[in-house]
Amino acid sequence: MANSFENYQRRKLISSYFSVVLSIALVLFLLGILGLLVLNTKKLADRSKEQITISVFLKENTKEIEVEQLQKTLAMSEYTKSSTYVSKEEAAKQHSEDIGEDFVDYLGYNPLKNSIDVKLKADFVTAEKVEEIAATLAEKSFVDEVSYDRVLVSMVAKSVEQIGFWILVASAIFTFIAVLLINSSIRLSIYSKRFIIKTMQMVGATKTFIRRPFIWQNIKLGMIGAAIALLAIAGVVYYLNTNFQDFGLFDEPYILIILFVSVFLLGILISFISTYFATQRFLNLRTDELYY
Amino acid sequence: MGEIVLELKDASIFQKESLVLSEVSLKIEKGEFVYLIGKTGSGKSSFMKTLYGDLPLQKGEGHIVEFDLKTLKEKDIPFLRRKLGIVFQDFKLLPDRNINQNMLFVLKATGWTDKAKMDTQVLNVLEKVGMKTKGFKFPHELSGGEQQRIAIARALLNDPELIIADEPTGNLDPQTSVEVMKVLQEINKSGRTILMATHDYALILKYPAKTIKCDANKVFEVVQRAV
Repeated sequence: MANSFENYQRRKLISSYFSVVLSIALVLFLLGILGLLVLNTKKLADRSKEQITISVFLKENTKEIEVEQLQKTLAMSEYTKSSTYVSKEEAAKQHSEDIGEDFVDYLGYNPLKNSIDVKLKADFVTAEKVEEIAATLAEKSFVDEVSYDRVLVSMVAKSVEQIGFWILVASAIFTFIAVLLINSSIRLSIYSKRFIIKTMQMVGATKTFIRRPFIWQNIKLGMIGAAIALLAIAGVVYYLNTNFQDFGLFDEPYILIILFVSVFLLGILISFISTYFATQRFLNLRTDELYY
Repeated sequence: MGEIVLELKDASIFQKESLVLSEVSLKIEKGEFVYLIGKTGSGKSSFMKTLYGDLPLQKGEGHIVEFDLKTLKEKDIPFLRRKLGIVFQDFKLLPDRNINQNMLFVLKATGWTDKAKMDTQVLNVLEKVGMKTKGFKFPHELSGGEQQRIAIARALLNDPELIIADEPTGNLDPQTSVEVMKVLQEINKSGRTILMATHDYALILKYPAKTIKCDANKVFEVVQRAV
């Protein structure tokens, strides 16, 4: 008799724990994926920023040694990601292919200039910094002209900022929903024990003493939920990494580790806070108020 | 004159904003057995609740064991209840654990740490109410009378200075009521003070004691024969 009752109770408990664990797991999973996105927006943004090229056109009579020197200077400056020398013949060939017409033949001479194409590091791709770099390069006597796509530079910088902002907004909303959902399922499970909580108070237990096992129990559920969420996130990361190698998810493993640890801690924190306030609510009610 | 465990002076009992009892003055000495009678709705329960801190004393003076009800702070309530033994009409055992665990919960909650001492104390109080062999049962597996005896045993765990029983026989049949009453009488004989709310006049006739009555918003002592 006692045994079957205990089994029945255990089953009942397991099913009520199940919904708490599941809601924690789902919500943390979504949050983790969003976190993954946030952490990788910078990487994606950087990649598009580093596609931007500054072309340094050289005067006709520039000596080879000057070109080499400039290339060395560029290689040593902190803003350079890569620089390539493009001779006017190569440029003409490239340009002819682009327009589908041999303009050198048509014109009878090659109007293009030798140039060095400089790709910048992402951190230096802002309208002001690019301007500054271009100005410094233009000062050199053998440099004819420095050209880059101003509109593109300011557009990239702006849209990256905007995307980052909206992803952050979405994360904030999601975190809020996460807390709300987990909070309500925990509160429901504590609501069902409000009379037990009241009885415990009647026999002289302090609030802290009554609250402790509830908090510990829900932290355990939070940990299980977080563990499930992390497994799922790990699965997604693994899938992305095998199918989109160049995404470079494992380039900086510590970012992933930080993400995992914070999802786990968030699971514990949310369940702790929700339990604390849910128990507090019923601990502060007088007996008569429990019936409403 | 013995030691006074409960004293009220011009106290008013409120249930929320509505006045239930006014000008309550009462003294209970150590070792007394006191009945509190009155119709349902006459304020017995509110009176009891005020005594154990479930309702605040808003007007008048009140001292119970070493606590001042008027200045009683939220954080002191658990410590007040440790000095009292409270028995309810609906038993209020913890339904999710067996009797032994019910008892151990109270002991742990009230600061006991020695496992051996706790076990001895549990057996001790269960023996007093004649339920020594039922420790492994769950509350719902016991009859009402048995549950009430367990609840009385629970009230005894911390050797209380005053036992407050709010209609302890209200849910029981006459015969079981008498059994529970016998238990309470024995506990009273061993020197404990008991305040018992009831409307079971048969019991009062059978076990006469000092009786106070709640009626028309007042509390007053009645002479046994006039009941």
